Amino acid sequence: MVDELATLVPLAPEFAVIGAALLILVIDTFSREKHGAVALVVAFTGVAVAFVATLFHLAEGTDALLFHDTIVVDGFALFFNAAVLIATVLVLVSSTEYIEKFCPERRENLTEFAVLVLFAASGMLLMASSRSLVTAFIALELAALPSYALVAFAKDDKAGIEGAMKYFLLGALTSAVFLYGISLVYGATGAFDFVGIADALTGADGDVFGLAGLGVLLILVGLGFKIAAFPFHVWAPDAYTGAPTPVAAFLSSASKIAGFVLLFRLFTVAFPTQLDWLLAIQILAVATMTYGNFAAAVQSSVKRMLAYSSIGHAGYVLIALAVFTGADADSAFALGAGMSHLFIYALMNTGAFLVVALVDDYWGVGYTFEDYAGIARQAPVIGVAMAVFMFSLAGLPTGAGFLSKLAVFAGAVNSGFWWLAVLGGINSALSLYYYTRVLKWMWVEEPEGATPELEGKPVGIYAAILVAAVGTVVLLFAFDPVLSTATEAAESLLGV
Amino acid sequence: MVPTSYYVFLSAFIFAIGLYGVLTRENAVVILMCVELMLNAGNLNLIAFAAHHGEAAGIAGQTFVLFVLAIAAAEVAVGLGVLVLVYRRYGTVNIRKPSYMRW
Repeated sequence: MVDELATLVPLAPEFAVIGAALLILVIDTFSREKHGAVALVVAFTGVAVAFVATLFHLAEGTDALLFHDTIVVDGFALFFNAAVLIATVLVLVSSTEYIEKFCPERRENLTEFAVLVLFAASGMLLMASSRSLVTAFIALELAALPSYALVAFAKDDKAGIEGAMKYFLLGALTSAVFLYGISLVYGATGAFDFVGIADALTGADGDVFGLAGLGVLLILVGLGFKIAAFPFHVWAPDAYTGAPTPVAAFLSSASKIAGFVLLFRLFTVAFPTQLDWLLAIQILAVATMTYGNFAAAVQSSVKRMLAYSSIGHAGYVLIALAVFTGADADSAFALGAGMSHLFIYALMNTGAFLVVALVDDYWGVGYTFEDYAGIARQAPVIGVAMAVFMFSLAGLPTGAGFLSKLAVFAGAVNSGFWWLAVLGGINSALSLYYYTRVLKWMWVEEPEGATPELEGKPVGIYAAILVAAVGTVVLLFAFDPVLSTATEAAESLLGV
Repeated sequence: MVPTSYYVFLSAFIFAIGLYGVLTRENAVVILMCVELMLNAGNLNLIAFAAHHGEAAGIAGQTFVLFVLAIAAAEVAVGLGVLVLVYRRYGTVNIRKPSYMRW
């Protein structure tokens, strides 16, 4: 009995997050008043414990198979766990003040907010550890269902409800497509676990290959929705714009990262390249980054611009998978570069969304670029933080986004796909236009009419923004450990 | 014994009906029903392939169907909750009516 429990130790991060969520529900049931603050403290503790456990396992080099090999805890999963947990904690810290200000009628329901975030986060952690299509599907739904509810959290907000409806309907549709894809792959191979599928497909003949290929395509649709890749992105701008901004930060960072980890593991481990999925990913990568950047450039709302920019970033990260040529060192490096970019992206993208949460919703100055005029001179700290996020997202050396993007492009060149790196570079240059546009309005332009009053300095939101900004800058100088951890994890995943 | 391919064609047909409904209908509840049809097409596939693959590999497929049924129920619960909010705010569940956001 004790021995069996000891085998569960590698899953400590997941248990901490789920345990915290259940504890909050129990406290909520037995207390007469609503204790939003208590819930957030418990949630924060749970995520912090999970983060420490993740770092511990990462340092230990844990590599364990659990539950009849359907769950795997390895460096690859743990690396992504760390990124997801960072985004989760930033969102939790900033959400109290945001909800009290933005939707005061929902202040009573802070406990539910915390529980939903934790359950979604646990689903994302399990997506990183899935080693079977069964666990992958369940984890994906565990991450998705609370997300639908979170987008609709401000339940009197027109935009929020509309975003939630679009997100839900498209999410339900793509999960059905995803399931159908799983059923076809299962039909072709008779296996759900990734290694079993790979074994069955090596040395398979034409018919089986056709069936599996169709299944892979449908699975790609399901995951493309999750990472908001063009043309499965249509939900993303509306859901992000409508959702409470911390939720938008959560979805565009943590949820996207979780989608990527599953995509990476599934395609590199389970599906041999003879299925020609490489071409599909290449098309997806180019289309996604080009579309995301061009659409971001024409937005008038800052939040919507960030939504499209996050689509563009999905395109950059897809390059890491698009250059996969098999189990060799170059592919492992490219994959590791993509992983590091996602890690940095978790910081800078969450931070940027939280700045919008503060300026747009908390201070209520408005959502367009013009409304941001002169903000930086009134709140220089926020102005500097936003400058760090924007330049880092654009790929300038003010933050670690520069190095991680460089690593992604270097990985593409290494593997012989220089044209993908060139297209990525062109897109990066384009993206500079709309990222600097925010800063121009914040720092340079004078507001028309009266200067907006910025009332209050919410401690939690400030803290989250500063942590993200400092992290982005510090990792510029401490990028090597991130990249080498990621590359090692990728190497052990591919068995190089 | 009925060949496995018959089941697979049937499920592909059901999937296509569901997809057609999702793409053409405007009532969100009907769309949700069509999505359920698609999910069940996947389930039918899983069961058929489970029988095809025999006992050892087949039991996994059958078990998965039970999980999918539970998840589909949870999905409908959340989805109908969202649609209730839509109805309260907009007075209809026609997906073309809420058009607050345009890009």
